[in-house]
Amino acid sequence: MSLFSSISVSASGMAAQRTRAELLVENLANAETTRTPDGGPYRRKDVVFQADPQSSAFSSVFQNEFQSTGVIASDVVTDTRDPDKRYMPGHPDADASGYVAFPRINPAEDMVDLMGASRGYDANIAAMTAVKDMINKSIDLLK
Amino acid sequence: MLDSIGSNLQQYMDLLATRQKLVASNIANADTPGYKTKDIDFQFEYQSLAPGDTPNVRDVSGLKTKNDGNNVSIDREARLLSENAIRFNVASSLLKNQIRGIRTAIQEGK
Amino acid sequence: MSLPITTSLPGIQAIPTITAPSLTPAAPGAFQAIFEKAVNQVETFRQDADTKVGKFLSGEGEELHTVVMSTQKAELSFELFQQVRNKVVSAYQEVMRMQM
Repeated sequence: MSLFSSISVSASGMAAQRTRAELLVENLANAETTRTPDGGPYRRKDVVFQADPQSSAFSSVFQNEFQSTGVIASDVVTDTRDPDKRYMPGHPDADASGYVAFPRINPAEDMVDLMGASRGYDANIAAMTAVKDMINKSIDLLK
Repeated sequence: MLDSIGSNLQQYMDLLATRQKLVASNIANADTPGYKTKDIDFQFEYQSLAPGDTPNVRDVSGLKTKNDGNNVSIDREARLLSENAIRFNVASSLLKNQIRGIRTAIQEGK
Repeated sequence: MSLPITTSLPGIQAIPTITAPSLTPAAPGAFQAIFEKAVNQVETFRQDADTKVGKFLSGEGEELHTVVMSTQKAELSFELFQQVRNKVVSAYQEVMRMQM
């Protein structure tokens, strides 16, 4: 039942939000990419969060940490929908009918998501700081 | 006589630490689909819990659930984060005072 | 003239022997019992503090403020015990110094 395990929890939250932010940045940078090494347009990537029990790095096997649930970015899902087809006959990547396949990315949506990831990251930092303060106050009792 | 020094305050601090751990978990899982906010009934556990026992973790009622099943309210968690930290501060200062008082009383008899 | 010597002198009475008052204590070992109880109490606090510190170090999840409190209690109880012992010893010495 140690407070130290919740530092691990906040750290896991920060890591997950950072992964999410990285993928969103990748999506935004490739919003207009029509040509990828695998052929075809860029496909949007999304992250899947999953709750994950956490324990402190110093805990023993006999620890039962039922209260500390961290988070883990367990999976990266690639968008499998058909790409967005736009009629651009002069484009180098146009197909026989003059359509170019563009990624299905809505930049406004991903920007808002990015702000959400940043806010989540900040919230986890705040939680870690608050817990660290509490631990320091406990040590203060000795003085 | 010395056994019960600050036992109330210690119980209070124990429960605050438990609550803060749950808040940290809630914040980390603020975007996890299907995750439900967790908390303890603070006053109930404070009045009735035996020292050394683990309190009952329960789901929170009255929270709005988002489309992906997650019901964490980041405002609620932020508020609880500060409140728990401040209360913990207060309790540890009061405890420190108690210890100092008893120590002075012991040493005055010299 | 002859002095009558028939009047007998009053007999000299024996000096009454002074018997020392009996010095048996009120209840045998009462102070010792109190003392032992105090020592056990201090020892209990110390052992409790040791266990808690051990559990904290081996990662078994003891809360930090619980550990700190138990060490403080052990310290305080020992200090109290020390002060009481000092007082008892000085009281004893004062009694020993009394001129009879």
